[in-house]
Amino acid sequence: MKIGIPRGFLYFKYKYFWETFLKELDCEIVLSPMTNKAILKEGIDNSIDESCLSAKVYMGHVKWLVGKCDYILMPRIDSFGKCDKVCTKFNAMYDIVRNTYEGVELLDYNIDCVKGCTEFKAFMRMGKLLKKSKMQTYRAYKRAKEVNKEKKTKIAEEQEKLVQESDSLKILIVAHPYNIYDKLIGEPIVKYVEKLDVLPIYADVTSTKKTRIKYKELSSSLYWTYNKELIGAIEHYKNKVDGIMFVTAFPCGPDSMVNEICLRRIKNIPMINIVLDELQGEAGLHTRIESFIDIIREKKKVVKK
Amino acid sequence: MKGQEIKVRAVGTTGSARKLIGTILKAQVVKNEITAHAIGTLSKYPDTRTIFEIGGQDSKIILIENGIVVDYAMNTLCAAGTGSFLSSQAKRLGIEVERFGDWALKSKTPVKIAARCTVFAESDLVHKAQIGHKKEDIVAGLCTAVVTNYLNNVGKGKTIKAPIIFQGGVSKNIGVIKAYEETIGEPVHVDEHSHLMGALGAAILAKTSGKEQDFIFDIEEINFETRGRECTFCANNCEIICVHKDNELIDSWGNKCDKGAS
Repeated sequence: MKIGIPRGFLYFKYKYFWETFLKELDCEIVLSPMTNKAILKEGIDNSIDESCLSAKVYMGHVKWLVGKCDYILMPRIDSFGKCDKVCTKFNAMYDIVRNTYEGVELLDYNIDCVKGCTEFKAFMRMGKLLKKSKMQTYRAYKRAKEVNKEKKTKIAEEQEKLVQESDSLKILIVAHPYNIYDKLIGEPIVKYVEKLDVLPIYADVTSTKKTRIKYKELSSSLYWTYNKELIGAIEHYKNKVDGIMFVTAFPCGPDSMVNEICLRRIKNIPMINIVLDELQGEAGLHTRIESFIDIIREKKKVVKK
Repeated sequence: MKGQEIKVRAVGTTGSARKLIGTILKAQVVKNEITAHAIGTLSKYPDTRTIFEIGGQDSKIILIENGIVVDYAMNTLCAAGTGSFLSSQAKRLGIEVERFGDWALKSKTPVKIAARCTVFAESDLVHKAQIGHKKEDIVAGLCTAVVTNYLNNVGKGKTIKAPIIFQGGVSKNIGVIKAYEETIGEPVHVDEHSHLMGALGAAILAKTSGKEQDFIFDIEEINFETRGRECTFCANNCEIICVHKDNELIDSWGNKCDKGAS
């Protein structure tokens, strides 16, 4: 059984989880390639104009997988709890894909904890759909949870260590994983930052245990789970980094609100908000990043004196 | 300086074409325009708190505290209210852009022009002309529109503190200077070399970089050529720019990955 995973959206968040689960169920995984212009073009052609850049990229990845696998893994996520919602794109993607690419076979799972659809139930149902026994599915789920936790903890610890040990300038990058790790959207920015001898620190790598408590210091009424995790990381790293860089894809709803809250409420640390769309011109972007880093370096010099 | 032999010790470039010109001139320093402008201005006016800069394609605001840049903003998406906008409107009105300021000063009742976007401003301008507003009033209206647009977009949310220095090509336009002073209620200072402040900054950076290299004034005789090509190694189709000096490749950029490097 070949299961396709689009390299977009939640893949970057759940890759260890999904990959372990599917491998434990003896499925072969077909991963779409890293985003390139051809994939983006397919995505744009198959999306409505108002869709966000990340969603357009995702649609391109799904298109690439069509015909190359038996099922395409497609989560539908609504809520993780009463005040824990996700962007509407994650509720809608399943339906958008089904209606855009007719006849596509989806391996879907539904998480909507408010209505009692938990992650565990969702994954057990997936096992059934793949004609696996309950026992095997249960084991696969447990194993996937373990591996995911191990990997995530390890990466978070490594970053924590890097923050403490490195002498270079550190910038906290606050961005959804699907934007910042995307080859076409975020990677050029990270590469450019590194070229300027700056160490990028990723907000999404912070242990969720810490972020889920700390986000409240910025806003107690936010209900977007993924954004809560990101701003919790800001609180965690605020005194350990030299600046904060928000990277978002146009026109992201949650980010447009949450980043604005951050820009207004966080004080005493240089911040920059970078909004990307599919009409990228790198010249203006480089100027902005470069001068942002210049400002931080100049400030540091003055403080040292 | 006339008749004297000039020796160039180092070269610095800035602005949107900094990389290209920097490669051609073998510059020791290639710096973004925000830092260059700030350094250039501070060398002449150390007390500066705010720099307005409007060039041909972009406009910026730079905020300075105790001699260091603390914040900046630039127009990211459109060129409304920049030099290119003014010059295209001047052409439409049949005025030389250099004389734009003089025309604006003649006006006693400037018209209101929507400044949010170049396209709207243009249709507004045509409309105002058609219903019979005088040319100088329209010109004065355009100058105010540039300022309103600037303060609402680039200067949004920024605290503007005096002393204010205004520079870039548009600072040569007395009509815009007047509009700034009327809107903000603070004097806006323009240096006689206001269009060269970025260059001055780049020069200072090159001077203090500690790097030196002989520079020969034979640039004019050497044939520089850039060739654009589309990389075909992967689906990204990066547009690669190759800079040739007398048919010899000296530098190239634009590739997203190493495949394009060859």
